Amino acid sequence: MAQGSEVYILGGFQTDFGRNWTKENKHFSALMRESVLGALERCEIAPEEIESAHVGNFAAELYCMQGHLGAFFTEVDPAFSGLPTSRHEAACASGSIALLAASAEIEAGRYDLQAVVGIEQMKTVSAGEGGAFLGTAAWYDEEAKDIDFPFPKLFGKLGDEYDKRYGLRDEHLAEISKINYANAKLNPNAQTRTWYMNKEHALCRTDDNPAVGGRIRIADCSQVTDGSVCVFLASRDYAERYARGMGKKLEDIPRIKGWGHNTARLRFADKVAESEGAEYVLPHVRSTIASAMQRAGIADVNGIDGIETHDCFTTSEYMAVDHFGITAPGESWKAVEEGWLEIDGKHPINPSGGLIGAGHPVGATGVRQLLDAYLQVAGEAGDYQVEEAKNFQTLNIGGSGTTSVSFVVGT
Amino acid sequence: MPDNGSTPSAAATRKLLSSRPLERIVVLGANGTMGYGSAALFTQAVPHVTFLARTRAKAEEGLASAIAQVRSPTVASRAECGDYNEDLESAVAQADLIFEALTEDLDIKREMFDRVESARRDDAIVATVTSGLSINALCQGRSESFRRHFLGLHFFNPPNVITGTELIAGNDTDADVLDFIEAFSRLRLGREMVRTADTPAFAGNRVGFKVLNEAAQLAETLGPALVDRIVGPYTGRALTPLATVDLVGWDIHRAIVDNVHANTKDEAHSTLELPAYMASLMERGVLGDKTGGGFFKRDGKTRLALDVASGNYIPISEVALPDMGYVNDIANLYAQGRYEDGMAIFLKAKGDEASLARKVIAGYISYAFHRVGEVAESINEIDRILGMGFNWAPPSVLVDTMGSRAAVDMIGEAGLPIPELLSDAANSSKQERFFHHPNINVGRFFVAS
Repeated sequence: MAQGSEVYILGGFQTDFGRNWTKENKHFSALMRESVLGALERCEIAPEEIESAHVGNFAAELYCMQGHLGAFFTEVDPAFSGLPTSRHEAACASGSIALLAASAEIEAGRYDLQAVVGIEQMKTVSAGEGGAFLGTAAWYDEEAKDIDFPFPKLFGKLGDEYDKRYGLRDEHLAEISKINYANAKLNPNAQTRTWYMNKEHALCRTDDNPAVGGRIRIADCSQVTDGSVCVFLASRDYAERYARGMGKKLEDIPRIKGWGHNTARLRFADKVAESEGAEYVLPHVRSTIASAMQRAGIADVNGIDGIETHDCFTTSEYMAVDHFGITAPGESWKAVEEGWLEIDGKHPINPSGGLIGAGHPVGATGVRQLLDAYLQVAGEAGDYQVEEAKNFQTLNIGGSGTTSVSFVVGT
Repeated sequence: MPDNGSTPSAAATRKLLSSRPLERIVVLGANGTMGYGSAALFTQAVPHVTFLARTRAKAEEGLASAIAQVRSPTVASRAECGDYNEDLESAVAQADLIFEALTEDLDIKREMFDRVESARRDDAIVATVTSGLSINALCQGRSESFRRHFLGLHFFNPPNVITGTELIAGNDTDADVLDFIEAFSRLRLGREMVRTADTPAFAGNRVGFKVLNEAAQLAETLGPALVDRIVGPYTGRALTPLATVDLVGWDIHRAIVDNVHANTKDEAHSTLELPAYMASLMERGVLGDKTGGGFFKRDGKTRLALDVASGNYIPISEVALPDMGYVNDIANLYAQGRYEDGMAIFLKAKGDEASLARKVIAGYISYAFHRVGEVAESINEIDRILGMGFNWAPPSVLVDTMGSRAAVDMIGEAGLPIPELLSDAANSSKQERFFHHPNINVGRFFVAS
């Protein structure tokens, strides 16, 4: 099959990110099982149809004392025994890397139907211990060793860099947090849908919203989450048959129209040094976004109806706003003030609630973003549906802006 | 994926929300548990919430409790406090929604509504959080405008954690008022909304407290430790039944089951009779966790269980419990997400305890399915309120997991009436699921212990 042949998304399933699987006394194999069986049922696909599976996961070895996660896929259904499976890791971008590998195999003509699972069970350990595990997504010895909660501090530095180059006001970050929490209330699978939040709380500077790293406070952070998401990617041939079976037209089945993928140097200080004097604070992130749009044949962000971005912290969403081209570099605050990022705004970001509102089970996030993009363009996003969404774009980031992956999903 | 049908309404629902103002809410009885819990919830969504109580000091206590419950000092920036004598009329006159959370007493509430009626704007909505009094009785004799804007909005305690919420219309409630409150509650307060009929204790408490009271009846001979082991987490609940009654409070439990027992007559009437031992212990001041103990209490790190006959407490470690190895087998399967396999063991497990567990679960399923058409339009509403209000495996989820034929056989074996819906499903060649709610993970209800 020719390079660049189309990759279709048939749908999928995410677990409720509000669940605590440790409290339910459950092993992560249960987490994977529910997402895969849920996806098969929702998409009306028989297990025998699946030809290959890719699992995105960051650190089950640390959180669950378990490696070899691709093999766990075969435990879900007897029909999966013998399937080719694999596991992919790129910190918080693990899920998107699994998607890239699966879609490349479809483009290469190897398989017609793939399952992609993103999974992370994180509530097995204390917040402090988990914070140290997350530090391995940075250059651990250089940036994380002996530091409590290294990642909020790294993304606090991203805010500081914006402040230095362009100026940054905390109230704009608080507004980003508020929007994500408000959108999460619309999403029945969002982790924080019952959590208390309003703009005053996001801005409050008391022990109820303590600082965890420089300018980053609890309300600026995504939280420790357990979750798994499974989606099915298919070749054009398979998608045609599937569409017929479901009484739909092929044109109605969403597909991956474009992708971008870059990896920058690991250390945050090196990234910032490289971009000194450049237009964008994280040029490789900009390049990832732009190449996904270019491959999709979309000129700029005005051709994108909504975005699911990687807001591990409010500063990362603030960065995404200008890197997507919604404003000129350094002017993300304008989009915040104009209300463009809200669900009914000009450039809705994270109608699902994003990582801050919906949750951030690290290895699952990229797959969750793709599923949400699918739901939006398929018109199946329920209460967080963006009106008349035709094209949605994702941005998934591993480390401190290190590995970036973006997909444009549309019909 | 197949269409789920809900999508086209999303933007329309958001528009419906902006169709009328909801900026000011007055909470009456804001010092009570449901009052301050609901008021805290409202401050997330609206800029002005007035906490009213008998005295300003009581209202301020409510505000302090609200702040503590949701752990945000910002509640105060959206709240005002006042008392019924000085502030009620002026606050109610400005309110878009008046939310009543007084003591569960028909006369007290009706007297308050008399004052609300003369002060409210004609378009102001009046809601009651009653957990079981009749909505029609509460607004009887009020003006047409009042009755058209009156409804039940039953949050479960604590409302910041439990999302299941019942919406109950009176005979005269406007359909668009109901739609608006449902949209507001779902989109702005993150509620799982369930419409129920105006029947005693509505849907959730009617079915839920039947099971809780049956557990309390069984405890008279078996003791609370064994009952909570038999009807344990593996039967589809995070919190065991008698621990739940302790948390809810024995007085609340009594109020609910007495109300249902007095005002209904159904096939399981005797299971709704409060056990006599509970009444006599209550006379001695035993009300559950709020009085330091009920079926269970703590002595330092030791967990104690009530000895029903003597009223004394003994360490649970000293209570002789029979071997229930099948529970561990089920839990091990649940831990891997193998819920059907675990349920198959439950259905076949030998011994008196397993039979009793099946009898209680059969009673739960049978009772819930028999209430369709009485407390709610379909089993779906009953399922959702038990799932999201009680955090119990909804009856349909249990049926789906064991199969409708197995459910019918289990109910038959327990000597209980078999609901027609279930026997029809068991006799049908098509095996269809009862529970269709793409946004509720059913696996969460199968706790592996």
